[in-house]
Amino acid sequence: MCCPGCRAVAGLIAANGLESFYQQRTAYNQRPEQDEAPARDRYLVYDDPELAATFTTTDAHGAASARLLLGGMTCAACTWLIEQTLGRLAGIHSARVNLQQSRLDISFDPGQIALSEIFSRVDALGYRVRPFQASHQRQQMQDEYRSQLRRLAVAGLGMMQVGMFAIALHAGDIQGIESQYQGLLRWVSLIVASFVVLFSSRPFFTTAWRHLRQGTLVMDLPVALAIGLAWLASVWATISGTGQVYFDSVVMFTFFLLLGRFLEQRVRQRNALSWFDAESTLPDAVATRRDGQWVTLPRSQLQAGDVVLVKAGATVPVDARLCVGTSAVREDTFNGEHLPRSVSVGDTIYAGTVNLEAAIEARVLGSYRDSRLAALQRSVEQAQGEKPRLAKLADRIASWFVAAILLITSATALAWSQIAPEQALWISLSVLVISCPCALALATPAALTSAANALRHAGVIVRGENALEALARTTHLIFDKTGTLTEGSLQISTVQPLAGAKEAELLAIAAALQQYSSHPVSRAFSDISPAPGWEQVDYRVGAGLEGRRPDGNYRMGSEQFCRQWAPALPPPPDQRRYWIALCRAATPLAWIGLDDRVRPEAAAVVAAARSAGLAVELLTGDSSAQGPLLAKELGIEQVETGLQPEQKMTRVQALQAAGSVVTMVGDGLNDAPVLSLADASFAVAGATDLARTQADFVIVGEDLDSVISTWRKARQCRRIILENFSWALGYNVCAIPLAALGYVPPWAAAIGMSLSSLLVVANSLRLNNTPRS
Amino acid sequence: MESLYLLIPIALLFCAIAIKLLLWAIDSGQYDDLDKEAWKILADDEPARPDAESPDNDAREDKP
Repeated sequence: MCCPGCRAVAGLIAANGLESFYQQRTAYNQRPEQDEAPARDRYLVYDDPELAATFTTTDAHGAASARLLLGGMTCAACTWLIEQTLGRLAGIHSARVNLQQSRLDISFDPGQIALSEIFSRVDALGYRVRPFQASHQRQQMQDEYRSQLRRLAVAGLGMMQVGMFAIALHAGDIQGIESQYQGLLRWVSLIVASFVVLFSSRPFFTTAWRHLRQGTLVMDLPVALAIGLAWLASVWATISGTGQVYFDSVVMFTFFLLLGRFLEQRVRQRNALSWFDAESTLPDAVATRRDGQWVTLPRSQLQAGDVVLVKAGATVPVDARLCVGTSAVREDTFNGEHLPRSVSVGDTIYAGTVNLEAAIEARVLGSYRDSRLAALQRSVEQAQGEKPRLAKLADRIASWFVAAILLITSATALAWSQIAPEQALWISLSVLVISCPCALALATPAALTSAANALRHAGVIVRGENALEALARTTHLIFDKTGTLTEGSLQISTVQPLAGAKEAELLAIAAALQQYSSHPVSRAFSDISPAPGWEQVDYRVGAGLEGRRPDGNYRMGSEQFCRQWAPALPPPPDQRRYWIALCRAATPLAWIGLDDRVRPEAAAVVAAARSAGLAVELLTGDSSAQGPLLAKELGIEQVETGLQPEQKMTRVQALQAAGSVVTMVGDGLNDAPVLSLADASFAVAGATDLARTQADFVIVGEDLDSVISTWRKARQCRRIILENFSWALGYNVCAIPLAALGYVPPWAAAIGMSLSSLLVVANSLRLNNTPRS
Repeated sequence: MESLYLLIPIALLFCAIAIKLLLWAIDSGQYDDLDKEAWKILADDEPARPDAESPDNDAREDKP
């Protein structure tokens, strides 16, 4: 079990007799995030009929149906778990999960079960859930997916038909065939093939044309040329009753290529998290004062000037100015750090940060659109647009491939027009068909699909389109500090007794006091059994804890707080750690040092990256001395501290402008813009949703080693792609002279094409073997 | 061999019908989720238990 959440879910699964989830899941789930608020309360707002109406519809029989978006689904077993759990609740008519779109369609009786109950039930299983808002982009993705499938289906069925006729024609070429039947077979092939070319191959032509007009040559151009010319030649041969037809090659080529691309895209779009944006971290229900009463309103109805109540542990819903209370907010959203900032009346608190210590009231400054969080989301979107497009290997090869083929074909035509003018046309055409870039065009998608599959089994989800190629060419590896190189939570690292008491005894006292605190520091003490005998413990917001026991009064907290009682308290031992003081009345007892523990594998990962020749950098939002110290410990030379998200972007842009290919590893919301800007990016275990959305690779497992193993896989993938290309080109180099001499009949062309494509696919499948070194 | 003039059009007709059906199935969303449906056949389709009203009221208490 990785966390208490898992234990709860395992208990829930077992209690429902759904144990087979564990046999049937095919991938590990993403680690659930810790949440503070009780599930049900967070979703009560959806019971509001007005809000519910925006995503539910009610039919004539009183059954309501709602569409919800799910986060954190990794495999089909998740869909089964959700469907089974919900299907057993009274009042649910049906629950259907669409894994590809992470969508839950649910039909229920509003009289028997409330929406909030459904929400919290799904939440209890460990999935994030929110209303499905139809977005233009999502609709587009769905349409695109369907039209790809339609093209593939038509090409597949057409290929079978044309292939059947082609076998008869090829046999006829060898054995002899009456010309009327040859004509018939050619004409039906023409009809079917033309339909396939017009219907299924259209995207190749449009893409090639679009890029040609912009002056770039892409892989689709030789593809479109091959399909178009072979088809035209065959049509001419059919009409004129001379020459040779290549309808089977045309259709087969179309099908193979569509299939390759479809599979490649599907692997990437699986587990797509594109539905997530920064706004969805904010609570939907907000307690607001209206006419002297606290009412719960949907967040969208807040206006500037409203007073909102933010409970301890809750996320701040809007940018606001504090008007009642003191507390501390954790602003890891903006700086990636977990140590909170103390706030008091008059301070501004930002949407998306977490209020830790005490309930506060704050006056709303503006709508979501004006907030600092929205600015972060905008810079994410801006970064997506600014991400440098590395030219794809395939496209770079395509440009000179086209030139070479056209040159050879013209040379052939010229030569044959001297030798035998009546043969010139057919032989130059056969050169074009033989040089069909089928294997060439399949070289990349086959390898990428195979690599992405292998990585998925190793616990890394590949999302970015060009990510594997970019990663293989990477020159700079940049890490975030907190949560990426470190574990992201404070642990007790050292205790310095000041008055001779035993360490264990001091820790037990500290643990007892910390039970009364909600500061993130208190989690570090939760494993220690607390000392007994306390009469009273008070929590002083922004300062520390004060407790009374028969043997004296204790204080624990900041330096100033303890020095009020114990002026003899020495200053904290060093700057490296986060220190808490403990004193009994005027006697200083101890300094307890807390540390964010470095991930055990971090040093090995950095060493491996350096020995592989990558430049390693550390960019952190933490401005303390810890960044440089950590860098030194791990052997990272280049380090920059105290960076805002925008400054991290500037750094990466500077590197990119100097010609480096940058891979970024991060976890926080604040890393999201830089993750989407980097040429390739990783979101590590426990990363925020927004970071996962923007990263090209999502590490599902725990260890940072995956960064290096993924890099190795990407290099291997690049090698395989190059092998595929050299094979495909080598095949052409051998076959084209034969065709130019007029030795290759159409059936040999078809077989040669299929065999070279199969070889490329088989070679790519080698990427699936995962020797875990 | 004259039968080819009849048989081939019939084959084409069947092919057209098959394409039509497939396109209809795609458009009606039956292929929207290839991952789940391929896998679903392995899942036991247990009937809802009679005590469906109280299957898991422990869900929230168990939450961390």
